[in-house]
Amino acid sequence: MNPAGPGTWRRVADWIDDRTGFRKIRDFIYDEPLPPGTGWWFTLGSVLLFGLGLQTVTGVALALYYAPTPDHAWDSIRFITTAVRAGAFLRGLHHWGASLIVIVAVLHLVRVVAFGSYRKPRELNWVVGVLLLLVILAFGLTGYLLPWDQRAYWATVVTINVSKLTPVAGEWVAALLRGGSDIGALTLTRWYATHVLVLPVILAVLVAFHLYLLRRHGISGPIPVGSTGSRGSTGSTGSRSSASSVREPVEPGEPVELVEPVEPEVFFPHQAARDVTMSIVAGIALAVLAWKGAPALTPPADPSSSDYVPRPEWYYSGLFQLLKYFPGRLEVIGALVVPGIAVTALLLLPWLDRAANRTVRSRRVLLSGFGAALATVIVLTILGTLDRPADAGDRWNVRELAGVTLMTSGDRCRKCHIAGGIAPALEAGRITGTQTWLANHVADPEVVGPGVREAPAVDEQDLAAMLAALAHLRSTAPPALDPSSQALMTLVNRQCLKCHRIDGVGGTQGPDLSHAGRKLDAPTIARRIANPKAVKADSEMTAFADKMSPQEIQTIADWLALKK
Amino acid sequence: MALHAEDRRSALARIVFGALGLIAAGLAGLVGLVASPKTSTPSRQWRRAVSIFDLPPGQPMAAVLVDRTQDGWYATSKQQVVFIDREGQGYKALSATCQHLGCRVHFDVAKQQYLCPCHGGVYDRQGRVLAGPPPRPLQTLRVRVNENTSDIEVEL
Repeated sequence: MNPAGPGTWRRVADWIDDRTGFRKIRDFIYDEPLPPGTGWWFTLGSVLLFGLGLQTVTGVALALYYAPTPDHAWDSIRFITTAVRAGAFLRGLHHWGASLIVIVAVLHLVRVVAFGSYRKPRELNWVVGVLLLLVILAFGLTGYLLPWDQRAYWATVVTINVSKLTPVAGEWVAALLRGGSDIGALTLTRWYATHVLVLPVILAVLVAFHLYLLRRHGISGPIPVGSTGSRGSTGSTGSRSSASSVREPVEPGEPVELVEPVEPEVFFPHQAARDVTMSIVAGIALAVLAWKGAPALTPPADPSSSDYVPRPEWYYSGLFQLLKYFPGRLEVIGALVVPGIAVTALLLLPWLDRAANRTVRSRRVLLSGFGAALATVIVLTILGTLDRPADAGDRWNVRELAGVTLMTSGDRCRKCHIAGGIAPALEAGRITGTQTWLANHVADPEVVGPGVREAPAVDEQDLAAMLAALAHLRSTAPPALDPSSQALMTLVNRQCLKCHRIDGVGGTQGPDLSHAGRKLDAPTIARRIANPKAVKADSEMTAFADKMSPQEIQTIADWLALKK
Repeated sequence: MALHAEDRRSALARIVFGALGLIAAGLAGLVGLVASPKTSTPSRQWRRAVSIFDLPPGQPMAAVLVDRTQDGWYATSKQQVVFIDREGQGYKALSATCQHLGCRVHFDVAKQQYLCPCHGGVYDRQGRVLAGPPPRPLQTLRVRVNENTSDIEVEL
């Protein structure tokens, strides 16, 4: 390597080299001997290093804004995505970066198995690699909780319940993961500390050891061409001598392709260029995915809402799927026994391999077994990923729309709840009070701010509508409505929903009107609203002719007639 | 031939370092964007302080103005104390923040002076420095009377 640099630069470099010996280290990295045929397949490890570096950088940047407390975790993530410059992109990179690492790590593992690189003398490095894969998965698991939204919370509830299946010490393990008697503040800080302090240290140590062992034994290289009798590299000499001796010994008497003697190949610059190219490809793919950010936050974690159906991140969906095949008391088999056997088998792979050499032919049985296991994991992962809860969508129902209208029209709420006002603006995600508190606040503002407002002149139905709207506002913004629809929604809420059910909300004394238009046309409906007994003598419904104007009745009838 | 290989080698080396440099620069740019603090000066607005009927004769009255502020993702409230006083036919508002190091001054009725408890700053009733370390007088705020409500409003 030429020390380069004119005059001064060179003298500075010489001085630093004299004091540190950095050129020796640089040359050690540059001149890593490579067996012939080392090519694109051997870039996966470097892409992984790139991915881990990227996660470190983006993780540190996220930590500048993240607050690991139930009070503020969700808000801080929302702040990152909406208010921090490039924040949504940053979170996208970190989110998709995790998926990239899992994919590349598995590809790396498959490459090592396919090429038999785990064989003597590299058994220990294989073990370190499997441990690294587990650390990566632990990163994914702990990171999943941090946004503290419904998805994070309920997925973690499942994780911790699964940990209870541990034989003998189940409750203890679950308590260790929880930190307290329930999943809450103590769990969040614990998982955060693990994610940003404990795991990175373990990762760094294991990666360093992985690379040290890599240099000690050298890259295995591809399966030697024309060899059927190689017993795998037998010593630790490979990396220290020229490429010709890295070439695996060949059984005497076997036909060998004659290869021209070539200059020993080293890491820099050819393999380095391949590594960098692949890292850039991975980086571009990530940037494209991250451009739209990470998946949107679900509503803030709410331990009291038990109707949320949690789903794990895709790389855990295989395990999730596996659990379904072992119901009841057999659950422990799916949760711990099968994964435990799989990990143990993986760790012991170098010793399970009794083949004479690393050619595919002599490792047929082992490779078929591995392939079958891998295919199973992939199929389970796909099945698990496909099993998404039925998307309830995010439609605002009549009552919620009425509530939004009531809150945003006039100055009932907006006297205080406006941007720059003395109370937070009515904006999606900003509503953080409990249901009880909100109910008190809406029904009687004196509870919160004496003298702020006159006594509420709202009826029961209006109150229910505002509470429903506040609940929905926790997560999403309401759709914009034109004034006539707004009037219609408040009218329907006030007059119809007390007795009738429409689209899942309302009373049950009268018939469900969700599909009123299937049986009746608009004029009939209008007549039945105005004077029910005139249409149906035994009707118990109140007549609305004197409670609403004919125009109002007509609007409601037209709307109901459209509900097929 | 050898020269050719050497050229190829150094060109590749340049590409490798160029690409690494690009990655590093991209990441540095992103982190720079994310990490750079966002500061904005809040816009001033008129805030109700006291009703003119509540103002006691012969001495200023402290009004506590509570400001809801958004501190990142954290909604908090900031208290600011102002002294409302009569001045001729009109009114005057002084910030209660000592101009030395930001402690809160109080009004001593007997001495008719604003006293700072921290380092002994003394201001007269007009806010002028009489003694102690304060480098400048108490900050005077703009006031107006809301004719509809008879409230004295302060611009903060």
